[in-house]
Amino acid sequence: MALPVARLRSALLGVVLVLIAVPVGGAVLLALVNGDSPCILCWAQRTSMMLIALVGLFIVRYGPRPRYIGLAVLLGAWGVFMGLRHSALHLARDIGQGFSAPFFGVHTYVWAGFIHWVVLGVIAVLLFLLPEEAVATWPRQATRASRFAMGLFMVVVGANALQAFATTGPPPFIGQGDPIRFSFNPKHWVWADEELDGGMSLRGAWTVPQPVASATDPDPAHGPLANLPMSTVTGHERIGVPLDGALTGFARDPATGRFLAVTDRYDVYLLDSTLARVLHHVRLDPGFSIDLSTLTGAAFVGDTLAVLSTNKSYALVEPDPNAQERLEWRHFLETDGGVSEVGLGRFQTVRAHQMFVLSFAFDPAAHELITVSVPNPRHKSLVVSRFARGDFVLSSEFEPAFGPGLVTAALNRSPADYVITGAVVADSALYAISAAYSTLLVIDLRSHTIRAAYAVPGLEDPTGLAVRGDELLVAERDGRIAVVQRPTP
Amino acid sequence: MEFLNFLLILCTAWLLWRRPERERLAFGLLVVSCVLMALLFLAGTHTSFVPGVNL
Repeated sequence: MALPVARLRSALLGVVLVLIAVPVGGAVLLALVNGDSPCILCWAQRTSMMLIALVGLFIVRYGPRPRYIGLAVLLGAWGVFMGLRHSALHLARDIGQGFSAPFFGVHTYVWAGFIHWVVLGVIAVLLFLLPEEAVATWPRQATRASRFAMGLFMVVVGANALQAFATTGPPPFIGQGDPIRFSFNPKHWVWADEELDGGMSLRGAWTVPQPVASATDPDPAHGPLANLPMSTVTGHERIGVPLDGALTGFARDPATGRFLAVTDRYDVYLLDSTLARVLHHVRLDPGFSIDLSTLTGAAFVGDTLAVLSTNKSYALVEPDPNAQERLEWRHFLETDGGVSEVGLGRFQTVRAHQMFVLSFAFDPAAHELITVSVPNPRHKSLVVSRFARGDFVLSSEFEPAFGPGLVTAALNRSPADYVITGAVVADSALYAISAAYSTLLVIDLRSHTIRAAYAVPGLEDPTGLAVRGDELLVAERDGRIAVVQRPTP
Repeated sequence: MEFLNFLLILCTAWLLWRRPERERLAFGLLVVSCVLMALLFLAGTHTSFVPGVNL
């Protein structure tokens, strides 16, 4: 299957010529015709293609030595990584959006990644066709074609050097994140090293730890609001059946009085109105189809039981006397046989992007599900996100501000200091309990303000919130339910 | 720095073309160019080395 070395050398020269002429030479033409300037990442991708072509010329000149082939594979693999890293900045944007102008409908950073991937494939094919004795018999003398390839390479690299001097400058200046349009006029040249600013990080804004509400300060006196009125715990109730795991989410159905409880072991309990009897129980399979992180919230959506995990993924289940064990086996690790899964999904947010949630509520008037984000070291904001019941797509988001009458303890304090672990809608308001500073917030869903706040001392690890008439029921991690009089601001 | 790297690449190509007996030097320069290219990419991504997506 091996090709004669002379033909293989010609094929390699062809590949080098295409690589240097089309993507690398074409990029210079784009600068001359369109004023297109590469960003610092584009420069590296372009340079890598140039270096692969140069390795090809080394092989043409000296033969297919292992170190040349190794370096070419290394450059191809690195180029694929660069393509992924660079394209990831823009791939998830909306239709037609991207960085700089597309070329044949595809942006240049994607082309560069694709070309490196093709390079790896071409290297594999050439190796496949390489005769065993090629290193010894490889023709070393220059031919007209190899001289032409070398000349073209020098011209294209020289043109790139001139463009680089104009757009990035001499050392120590480097390429830019947002490069300025190419010009021959020096007064338009901007040389910078701003890409060196900022600290090093492996994942940047995606370095977000899972929230641990129990690690927060529960003392209301240390919270962002001063002079808070008190709302005292009037008593405790307890879920009368043993839960398998810690209680992490809680809801009450206003129509039937039934309760919904979820645990950190993916258990979902439908309880009667006395909290003493389990009507249905399932344990979700968190690894089936959609990655469910720790369950953190529960809501009644009509007859549907909606449960939410900290990564904003959700599961919808329903009591179903006709549930078929054979079909439900894939959804549940355990089941009492009377529950069907009706859906799995993931909420997509904008303002609450890269933030976990610890609360879940349903607004029956607006037919919307609600989550409240918890701040993290990278993203410090409290975002209320609302999703349409019909399609579970984001309807609106807002960051509530402190309303008039609330006094901040210091200028730098904000609603983002709270860690909301339970939420419920009642009388057009969102009641939210914060494990940090044991504070109950009353958020106006129309004005997007926190219209009242109350210190609730004595709570221990609040994880959920439900409403029962004029009472608020605060679920605690150990399975107790603290009863608090519902304030009417 | 990109400009400097292109000058290095030009030097390497010139050695390859006009001084083929200096192969070791040419290959050394080629490796330096590769490392400089990689470092410049890492400089541009040092605030998040891996793609900003779910891994």
